[in-house]
Amino acid sequence: MSKKISALILLGGLAGMMASCTDEPLNAECDIEVVSLHFEEPERLMYHDYDTLQTVPSVVDSVSFLVRNYARIGSVPLTLRVTEGATPYLMSADGQWEVFRNGSSVDFSNEQVRRFRIVSQDKAWERFYKIVVLHDVPSEGDMSFDFEDYQLDPTNSEKFYIWSVKGNAVNVFTDGMWKNGNPGYKLSKSSAKPDEYPSVPLPGQGPDGSACLKLETCDTGPFGRMVNMRLASGSMFNGIFDVANALKDALKATQFGSPFKHKPVRISAWLRFERGETFQDKEANPVPGVVDEPDMYMVYYRNQDEQGNRVQLDGNDILSSPYIIGLARLPHHYNADGSDQLTNSPIHGVTNEWQEFTLDMKYTQEPDREIMENNGYSLVIGFASSWQGAYFQGAVGNKFYIDNVHVTCDRNE
Amino acid sequence: MNNIRPIFALLFLLLTFSAHAEDRWTEWGPTSRESNAGVIARVGYTIGGTTPIPLPAEIRRMNGFKPKGGVTFGADAYKMLSRRWGFSAGWHFFYEGFHTSANVKNYRMSLTMEGNTMGGYFTGCDVTNTDMWGVTIPILATLRLSPRWNLSFGPYVSFYFWQNFSGEVYDNTDGIGYLRVDTPTGEKVNMSRNNPATYDFSENMRPWNAGLEVCFDLKVMKHLNAFGSLDWGLSNIMDPDFDAVAFKMYPIYATFGVAYRY
Repeated sequence: MSKKISALILLGGLAGMMASCTDEPLNAECDIEVVSLHFEEPERLMYHDYDTLQTVPSVVDSVSFLVRNYARIGSVPLTLRVTEGATPYLMSADGQWEVFRNGSSVDFSNEQVRRFRIVSQDKAWERFYKIVVLHDVPSEGDMSFDFEDYQLDPTNSEKFYIWSVKGNAVNVFTDGMWKNGNPGYKLSKSSAKPDEYPSVPLPGQGPDGSACLKLETCDTGPFGRMVNMRLASGSMFNGIFDVANALKDALKATQFGSPFKHKPVRISAWLRFERGETFQDKEANPVPGVVDEPDMYMVYYRNQDEQGNRVQLDGNDILSSPYIIGLARLPHHYNADGSDQLTNSPIHGVTNEWQEFTLDMKYTQEPDREIMENNGYSLVIGFASSWQGAYFQGAVGNKFYIDNVHVTCDRNE
Repeated sequence: MNNIRPIFALLFLLLTFSAHAEDRWTEWGPTSRESNAGVIARVGYTIGGTTPIPLPAEIRRMNGFKPKGGVTFGADAYKMLSRRWGFSAGWHFFYEGFHTSANVKNYRMSLTMEGNTMGGYFTGCDVTNTDMWGVTIPILATLRLSPRWNLSFGPYVSFYFWQNFSGEVYDNTDGIGYLRVDTPTGEKVNMSRNNPATYDFSENMRPWNAGLEVCFDLKVMKHLNAFGSLDWGLSNIMDPDFDAVAFKMYPIYATFGVAYRY
């Protein structure tokens, strides 16, 4: 009995020691999590009423709102949701940081960039943001991509490459940039050199002697194994790569597409493919009798549902969503239920030699002109070195080379 | 004169009592009267944990603390130098382990595997499992508090045959679980219990530990003791160059059991 009691006392002491937490540390983070503008009649100035509110991913420090090209913008009441306890400051016209109070009006006229500084609750950390309101400008639909405009990402310690687009493509590429899984790969393989990432430029190796793009399916190393994401397909698409979800819900991390006011009818690209040795499943077990395939697709989808909510395709439904009205894709085998069929006899036709491929869009529904002009459809252009890479299956060592991509739109619209 | 009588009575009482007590000191003393030495073979149940001391502010709440029922068996040789004072030394084989789940905030951690480093500030739920097999060698001074109660106190050193320190990080019950990469302003990477990030620092554990032991022995029968002891580790369980966790951790384990005394 006394043994039991002393055991209890001792355990109680230990538990008490464990439970006696000291004061909670102050928050060290200093993010803008959500930005919203307040308009009397948002639908008159913007394309969708939800366009007044933007959720800001942790890696983003520049927020732009798109208004119709005839909208006249002056001072707009603005609300920021920042990390609990953090203090937001707005840079005044004379360059002073002044505490920003939610709901106060900020002058966004003439597309001026307003600068914000967020200081954490513990005052030890700060972040700087830019917010701007931009006018939509009419643009041509046809686009070309030659992957010549690349640089090492300055915001990621120049660990990997990023690609910008130019011309009218800027409108359909968030931040005017191609997106890919490189930021996620950096998390798992910090030792990788820039040209060891899944998406890299290859100067002088395109079919025309200029730079081309190489997408490679790479092993993610020990950290990839730790979270059972053992390979990373090289990828390239327009939209957002939300690194926050790269581990939690990888399919959700790739958010595809941006609004596009033209009807795309065709995509062409110069392609070359070297197949990796062994197709592996999610647990890295070799799957005999299956070879890996590259993928290229263009998707046109309705970006608003019947209730007026935003529709955002991600890795879960990029090729299967009911909101897709037009699709062009490299040919693959499919099962009777429409799911992807893994085989050893692919029909994509991409070989080790450069060839130009042209894929026509197949529409299940004709786009509505008015919806189109009101940014109601989104366009996705996507490439992957492993067509099952979103499910972490494929052949490490697959190399998919891409250059001179052209998107052709219907000229009779 | 009348006043003296009770004092004599008291003295007499005291003398008889101490004479009786002297018998008890002998009766419960070492079995071997010549050497005043002997052995104690112990077997016991070990519980406890491995913890930073004091608990850092980054650890907000213990969701669960579950010692894994451990076991100790071994033997001590002892020698009494006087009626009250002696010393002992021995070896105790043990298995001890624990499981904890804690909510943490801005918990600085970093992992290095095969030349790749991932680290930063984690907020969420951290689950840890520890297992250690080894042998403890205590060298203790013994004080007989009374004929039947012994208190032993002194340093010990443990050597581990096998160690495990592994766990998982994921979201807490409020759904919050994320790493800010490198600094609190770095990328936010969410973690989920559906796909937790696991860690295993077993390779980074120090193969030995040193600390202080205190042990109470109660002589229940002629050859049977009940005992309770506490081993308080004073050296970090991790290698000195290990920096994946920002603080040092110490093993604190208690053992309750019975012993054969000769």
